[in-house]
Amino acid sequence: MKIRTEQFNELAAVEIDKARARPFLKMVPEFMYRIRNAGMPTLPDPPAAQKYAAAVRAEVVSRLPDLLEEFERNATANGAKVIWARDAKEANDFIVGLAKERGVKTVIKGKSMISEELGLNDAFKANGIEPWETDLGEFIAQQMDLPPFHIIAPAMNITVEEVRDCFMDKAGMKTPTVDPVELGYAARVFLRDKFHRAEMGVAGVNIAVAETGTVINVENEGNIRFSKSAPRILVSVMSMEKCIPTMQDAVDMLRVLIRNCTGQRISAYVSMESGPRKQDELDGPDELYIVILDNGRSQIYQDEGVREVLRCIRCAACVNICPVYRQIGGYAYGGAYSGPMGQTLMPLLFGLDRTKDLYRACTLCGACASVCPAGIDHPKLFLTYKAKDVQGDPQFRTGKRPAREAIAFKLWGMGVASSRLWNLGARLFRPFFNWNAHDGKVSSMPGPLGAWFRKRDLPKMAAKPFRDRWEDIKRRKP
Amino acid sequence: MTETAREAILGKLRAAPAKVVPERPPLPPMKEASLQGEAMIGFLMERLAAEACTPFRVKDSREALARLTEIAREEGLNCVMTSTDEVVADLDLPAWGRANDVKVLNPRQFADREAYKNAVFDDAQASVTGASFVVAETGSLGMAHGPDNPRLLTLAPILHIVLIPVDHVVPALDAVVGRCFGRPGKYPSQFSFATGPSLTGDITGYLFRGMHGPRKVIAIVIG
Repeated sequence: MKIRTEQFNELAAVEIDKARARPFLKMVPEFMYRIRNAGMPTLPDPPAAQKYAAAVRAEVVSRLPDLLEEFERNATANGAKVIWARDAKEANDFIVGLAKERGVKTVIKGKSMISEELGLNDAFKANGIEPWETDLGEFIAQQMDLPPFHIIAPAMNITVEEVRDCFMDKAGMKTPTVDPVELGYAARVFLRDKFHRAEMGVAGVNIAVAETGTVINVENEGNIRFSKSAPRILVSVMSMEKCIPTMQDAVDMLRVLIRNCTGQRISAYVSMESGPRKQDELDGPDELYIVILDNGRSQIYQDEGVREVLRCIRCAACVNICPVYRQIGGYAYGGAYSGPMGQTLMPLLFGLDRTKDLYRACTLCGACASVCPAGIDHPKLFLTYKAKDVQGDPQFRTGKRPAREAIAFKLWGMGVASSRLWNLGARLFRPFFNWNAHDGKVSSMPGPLGAWFRKRDLPKMAAKPFRDRWEDIKRRKP
Repeated sequence: MTETAREAILGKLRAAPAKVVPERPPLPPMKEASLQGEAMIGFLMERLAAEACTPFRVKDSREALARLTEIAREEGLNCVMTSTDEVVADLDLPAWGRANDVKVLNPRQFADREAYKNAVFDDAQASVTGASFVVAETGSLGMAHGPDNPRLLTLAPILHIVLIPVDHVVPALDAVVGRCFGRPGKYPSQFSFATGPSLTGDITGYLFRGMHGPRKVIAIVIG
């Protein structure tokens, strides 16, 4: 997918006016938030479980290099081949190269945000290999050439009529219907042949267990299990922070991850790969490759102030509760990861200069941090990014701020530090400000302050400030 | 010599400022972990129903076969594929199939992978299998896949019938750690938890069962 994070404001402006997506935005994140909240009490002590999960993720980040080496050692002992990739190009080159070497024509993919981050589908297509997304939502998005709208439900905003037209056109559906179940069944029938015949499967990884060298996937549809079971070659792609120390930790984290994600006690399928198929097994991959992707994460790891972003387990609890996401949906974020999760990760991956508006699109209400099972403080990170952006940080590619901004804030700083200067400034500014007032409020301003008033207004300034009026009152007092 | 990606990545991680490993707070155990006996089986039956399985409880193998006969009639089954694990082997399903005019296949009949895949995708109307263990906490089938219970068998057919002797029921998910991942080098190449029929809500948030995996799961608890 094409990364468009630098177009956040333009994309958000388009999305906010899309009447089609509004009912879904009103309904689905709220629904998912509610089912999460209904599911959490099935844990004996939900806050304790969240705290424990956050501690496990903090430990993972602290011990990351050791855990990755342990994982590699054990996965290799299981018969898997572990490949390290510095960036998307290295990962894509390896996966596509492997497919070409093995004569693969068709690839089936389980829903994986990491492969969206890689732009893997485009890399396959450029080399004459057919990639098929097999998660229903991803399949719809792929056929309609759309990015994911939501990490869990990538096509939740697409109407049944649009799905019908798409399936009639591209998925061999013969009889038109707007029944979601029938539409789902049409996709099932169409994709079943792909599951049957594809030579390669590609899946992401939810959890990689260092102790056993096992990769774990969580899903509801069964498409990931098919992708991992039917083809002769399986490539599992994981971002490096997916490691976890032990299988017991994995069980504990599954309980928290799935409840935060969909409110379920467990998803319909949890599959755990520890190596390729054994000699006497009839199905499963002959070859299992596990690609460990860096793509900027080791850079993030260098900075203790932002390292906590690597704790994220992609449960999407923060997405569903975010008041900004609920207004604009997933497309505006311009990348694979939407909501606070994307706003914290993508600026560090793609550069603070390409994502200026993205990490500023936050009310700092803290709802995201309040539900995060990994203990990430998203608002604190946004403030850190803003500070880096102003102070400059070449590590995360901050751009240059305009000189007039620095001058303006210098003047502001001087003004708020001195009552004399402040009063003088207010006196000088008042006529200019009130000149823009209509019906007692200011809704627009010329010049650099204009952007602030695009979605806000302020009451007209009083003709006489309170300070002067107070003096008058005191004088009038007997 | 050129630095490999591995060396470069691990080198950067190791060069980063170290952070103290935080202490973990206590984690209260799942209350289901203390379930046992009839209480555990009762909880399992509830969870199976809640996860949209069709649960039955029978006294013994003879009743299990009778229930299977009824299911075959109701579902119009004339070809099933079975696992060859101990639970199913004990029931002699080939004999049951002959008596009920149901063709009974099993994966060990197929010498090559493609023939097996064709049969499990196209011929088998249902799979009849055991499970390594079944989890009361979640109503999940825990399956260590191998030659007796291959991966696609419990996934490709639209109906999955699972036979669960009561001594295969465990209270909580944690059982997987000791049972399947306790001995290094002996891990199953794939282990899966399957909980109810496959599920999706991807079209306008409308939830329905039977996406890519089985549309129906029937659980027969024996004992």
